[in-house]
Amino acid sequence: MATNISNDLVWQITRNQNSYLVKRNSGGGTQFSRDPLNVLNKHSYKYAGYANNKAIGVQGTENGVAVTTKKPTNPQQPAKNIVTVTYGPSTATRKIYKGVADKTAKHGYRADIREEAVARVSAIRRSQLPKKDTPAQKPRGAKARKAEESE
Amino acid sequence: MASRPTVSIATAEGKPSGASHPLPAVFSAPIRPDIVQQVHVGMAKNKRQPYAVSEKAGEQTSAESWGTGRAVARIPRVSGGGTHRAGQAAFGNQCRSGRMFAPTKVWRKWHQKVNVGQRRFATASALAASASPALLFARGHRVANVAEVPLVIESKTFENAALTKTKAAIALLQAVGAGPELVKVQKSRKLRAGKGKLRNRRFRQRRGPLVVYNPETDGKDLVKAFRNIPGVETSPVFSLNLLQLAPGGHLGRFVVWTSSAFQALDQVYGTTTTASALKRDYLLPSNLVANADLSRLINSSEIQSVLKAPKGEARTKRVNVQKKNPLRNKQVMLRLNPYAAAYSKQKLGQQSVEGGKPTAPAEAFLSTLHEN
Repeated sequence: MATNISNDLVWQITRNQNSYLVKRNSGGGTQFSRDPLNVLNKHSYKYAGYANNKAIGVQGTENGVAVTTKKPTNPQQPAKNIVTVTYGPSTATRKIYKGVADKTAKHGYRADIREEAVARVSAIRRSQLPKKDTPAQKPRGAKARKAEESE
Repeated sequence: MASRPTVSIATAEGKPSGASHPLPAVFSAPIRPDIVQQVHVGMAKNKRQPYAVSEKAGEQTSAESWGTGRAVARIPRVSGGGTHRAGQAAFGNQCRSGRMFAPTKVWRKWHQKVNVGQRRFATASALAASASPALLFARGHRVANVAEVPLVIESKTFENAALTKTKAAIALLQAVGAGPELVKVQKSRKLRAGKGKLRNRRFRQRRGPLVVYNPETDGKDLVKAFRNIPGVETSPVFSLNLLQLAPGGHLGRFVVWTSSAFQALDQVYGTTTTASALKRDYLLPSNLVANADLSRLINSSEIQSVLKAPKGEARTKRVNVQKKNPLRNKQVMLRLNPYAAAYSKQKLGQQSVEGGKPTAPAEAFLSTLHEN
């Protein structure tokens, strides 16, 4: 609406300081982003969800995946601006890949971040796999001999 | 811009009232974080209280130097006897109970003059930034549930002291989508680190929405309704303050406008061509570039049509790379020795020597050779 505010300008204003930016000296001063619409959690213009009119966010829900996109048509209306699709735990992972890839790359949306978005789905699904118990340790040495004797 | 963009006016319940108002010209003022930050630094200094140590601190003894010859430093020493203090060094900044180095004075330069033109520029800039949801998010405001930015609520809600209770004010803010913002402020309240705790700055917390009203039509009763909600501030539209519009010098404060305050903005700031009605000889600053969208500019046909074709090929040959062993790396070998392709294709390397094995000499030859 205010025509003088472009995405590039927003990024230039906020690249040094914004509420999502995580700056730590540990890790060699790498800068991360807490933006939910950032598929790599990386502080850069390409991935900054708040600064781009078109952005995709992939977040894990309880055993599922929630995919959020921004509507480029009404940037002035935050409440109407966001579209979320949730995939439940029973959805095949490949189906989610397809959904996310189509959302990002089709209709001229954001083909440049398709790969990262799909990779994020994959990482989330992997983290949701049931954790296997570590198998009980077999007795060794003196303990093993003892166990054998008692049998 | 074909038509001036409009902003819809919300009711107290957060629904669109149907009415709308054209966007005041201030909102298209240039956004200059550098100016805003500089002006903010100056303005923030103007509220400071002078402080200093006591004039007398560390100077309240009658110490005199002992001079040379007594094998002690020539620093003034406390006279007299009967106490441990006698004979101790005094006055100097290196001395125990001495005065500090360069004692602070109340006549330090506490305040800074900020030119009124710059101050107005910064205010206009901060107002323009408050209309960008992206900048609001970047500042940390929780505006995801807000119907429209800038958020304008019809003045009917406030007129004739209609809103005097804090409970109603909270309900109003929640209805228009500022509920998460209030929660954010409440949860952010933390004990301050350091001495500020003892100096009436015990807690620190985030800033919430700024409610801007028009005192002439909305009255001032809403101030009392809002003033006890953590983080919420109010300001009359005629005296907007940069310290509230861009706290910390960071652009994008969440502003809640009453409709009459919103309408008054064109009167207060004027436009880039018509002077403000309330500020003498004031025109809004205009943008240096009409379109700040870089990617659109770069990809426009006007720019693309005058650009030279890119030099070189799509893939440029890399130079200064690591040396490769041609005996192991076939591509490098082919570059050096074009014959290598044919050589390997014909399997010349694997072929036995021409003629094969030598044939055994004839029997007669051997027998003749060995004859004795």
